[in-house]
Amino acid sequence: MGIRVNPNLYGIILSGLQTNTQLENQALQQVSSGQKLNSLSDDPAAASSLVNMRIESSSDAQYLQNISSLTGSLNVADSALSSVVEALTSAQSVGVEGANGTNNTSNRQALAQEVQGIQQEIMGLANTTYNGEYLFSGTATTTQPYVEDATSASGVTYKGNDSSNSVEISEGQAMPTSLPGSQLFSNPTTSVFQSLQDLYTALNSNGNISGATTEVQNALNYVSTQQTFYGNSVDRLNNAQTFLTQEQTQLTETEGNAVDVNMATAVTDLSQTVTTQQALLAAGGKISQLNLFDYLPSS
Amino acid sequence: MSVALQSLLAQQGAMGVVANNIANSNTPGYSREVPVLQESPPTLMGNTMVGSGVNMSTVESVRDNILNLRIDQETSQQSSLGSYVNSMNQVQALFNETQGTGLQSYLSSFFNSFTSLSTDPTSSPLRQAALTAGENLAGAFSLTSQNLSTIQQGLDQSVVQTVQQVNQLTAQVANLNQQIKMISNSGESPGSLMDQRDEDLTNLSNLIDTAVVYSADGTASVTTTNGTLLVSGNQNDALTTQADSATGMHEILAQGTDITSSIAGGQLQGLIKARDSSIPSTQSSLDNLAAGLISAMNTQQNAGYNMNGGKGVDFFTPFTPTTAGSNAGAATTMTVALTDPSQIAASSDGTTGDNANATAMANLENQPIVSGQTPGAYYSNLINQVGNDVSNATSEQTAVGLVLQQLSNQQSSISGVSLDEEATNLVMYQRAYEASARVISVVDELVSTTIDMFTPS
Repeated sequence: MGIRVNPNLYGIILSGLQTNTQLENQALQQVSSGQKLNSLSDDPAAASSLVNMRIESSSDAQYLQNISSLTGSLNVADSALSSVVEALTSAQSVGVEGANGTNNTSNRQALAQEVQGIQQEIMGLANTTYNGEYLFSGTATTTQPYVEDATSASGVTYKGNDSSNSVEISEGQAMPTSLPGSQLFSNPTTSVFQSLQDLYTALNSNGNISGATTEVQNALNYVSTQQTFYGNSVDRLNNAQTFLTQEQTQLTETEGNAVDVNMATAVTDLSQTVTTQQALLAAGGKISQLNLFDYLPSS
Repeated sequence: MSVALQSLLAQQGAMGVVANNIANSNTPGYSREVPVLQESPPTLMGNTMVGSGVNMSTVESVRDNILNLRIDQETSQQSSLGSYVNSMNQVQALFNETQGTGLQSYLSSFFNSFTSLSTDPTSSPLRQAALTAGENLAGAFSLTSQNLSTIQQGLDQSVVQTVQQVNQLTAQVANLNQQIKMISNSGESPGSLMDQRDEDLTNLSNLIDTAVVYSADGTASVTTTNGTLLVSGNQNDALTTQADSATGMHEILAQGTDITSSIAGGQLQGLIKARDSSIPSTQSSLDNLAAGLISAMNTQQNAGYNMNGGKGVDFFTPFTPTTAGSNAGAATTMTVALTDPSQIAASSDGTTGDNANATAMANLENQPIVSGQTPGAYYSNLINQVGNDVSNATSEQTAVGLVLQQLSNQQSSISGVSLDEEATNLVMYQRAYEASARVISVVDELVSTTIDMFTPS
């Protein structure tokens, strides 16, 4: 007598069909969602690194946003300073003209008026705002940095502070966003407003006009030097932007590798399960259609 | 003639068994039966022993108890894994990171809102955005944590219901034991009752791990693999459930002893593992993360100054542990304490336009503020853990499924009804029946010939 085998072949076919249907579902889900990672358990390690990558790319997106809003304020500040330099240049020309001995009192007074106009123009520039906030008052961005003050030797008083804000433009890389007016427009030996006031007084009183003109020249040089901060900052932002954009592209690609399905593979998998399904069904249709009873005479 | 008659009866009985096999060929759990035909004791005729025909002594059910036990064990294992995977699938669906709509997006948005605020610390829209991001984060934590609890409570109800099912089955087994014993004593074969009991035992092993010992009297005594008695003879020891006063979750008691943690298989084990181990561990990670964020944010807020130059106050409602050293409840109760965007302490020195404290708060994202890890790293470990719980159980489930399939196949090859075999047997018994009938008719002819000899014609 032979070895007794399992007479219930349908059971085997059925469990084969179940296993295959499961694979088919999986493949179908991958093809329809375009993702191979549909639940955490599909690949826990990939899901976990996906979280890390998304945190990083989300921060990068935020840094890029910071950079674009900073670029705006830095450009405004930079052009304000260019105007200050221009104004100081014309003040210097006025000084040179005033130092010329051929001027009479009324000429000099007219020139002094011109200097006063320049003084006011520069004060306006020093009080430049961006988005309603003062650019040159340190961190006291809601306080107007320069106000007229007759009691002050320079004719103005600085109301801002000496601090400056820093903003992160990539992880761990902070950059000062502005320079306070107290640093931009003066140092212990040079002061924009003092030099203009001195020139004004000298022109009015026919005092040491050429000395005051030199002061203005020094102030001009000083502000020009300070202005390079803004140019350099914009360069730094551009570099950071390039870096972040690159990193983001790379992260997106890595994220895609972790999540997105290889369509060719998924479709092949799917059609394979379909073929298996058909084969199993065909086999199921063929087995056990007959048994011995079919051959016994039914008398 | 009586020999032939006996044979007729025996063949008829055998055909009855075949018919029963054929009728039950698709009945789940049915083990085929074979008629046991036995020679009748010979009688002494003069000096020779003459056979006195055939008897159908009993009907034997073809089964392999050892194999059945193995199947029950694997079934128990598979149901345990199955109910665990089902439970944890609900849990992993809460952390929908593969679609990018999980807690990570809320964490990132929250810290990004402070990075953004640092570019313009006096901006009302940016302050409002940071406050809203905080509220969204707290809401997401709270909702996830509450959903975890809901799943856990659902599992607890399933535990209670499953214990009731266990008790029903053990009562049935005890009852069947009694009937089987009675029938066995009367010398009959209790095949169909044993099949019923096998079916009950398989169902029982679906629910809880079982060890079955068969006695000589045909009864089966059932214990858990750790020795808790479930059925002994015609008695079943019902399990009871009782809510734990601390956790509110039901413990399983056998004769007053808590056996919850010693259950080693079946749906109950899967439910209990998810309810008492995996979900609480996920919940506690979530609580730790929430507590770390709350505490670090509040500390940083208190170090700064608000829009009006005043001292900063707590950003989130501070978490006070109910048990010292435990963060339980931190996630569920997480809310934002600030009511006005101007209260955000972006400034570190009281100057309105200063952003240093906003930057510091944004930088908490990269600080080890949760059990020595950054919030992102801690959360990504949590994700890994939840994913692994499910994927490990799923692969184990597949492996056990394959073993079970093998065993079922083996069982079917021993106990399954083959129609070919039954047809052969049917023909065999039918022929024997026909032959016996012919014997009767031949004897009848002989007798009538003999009688005719004396009848006057």
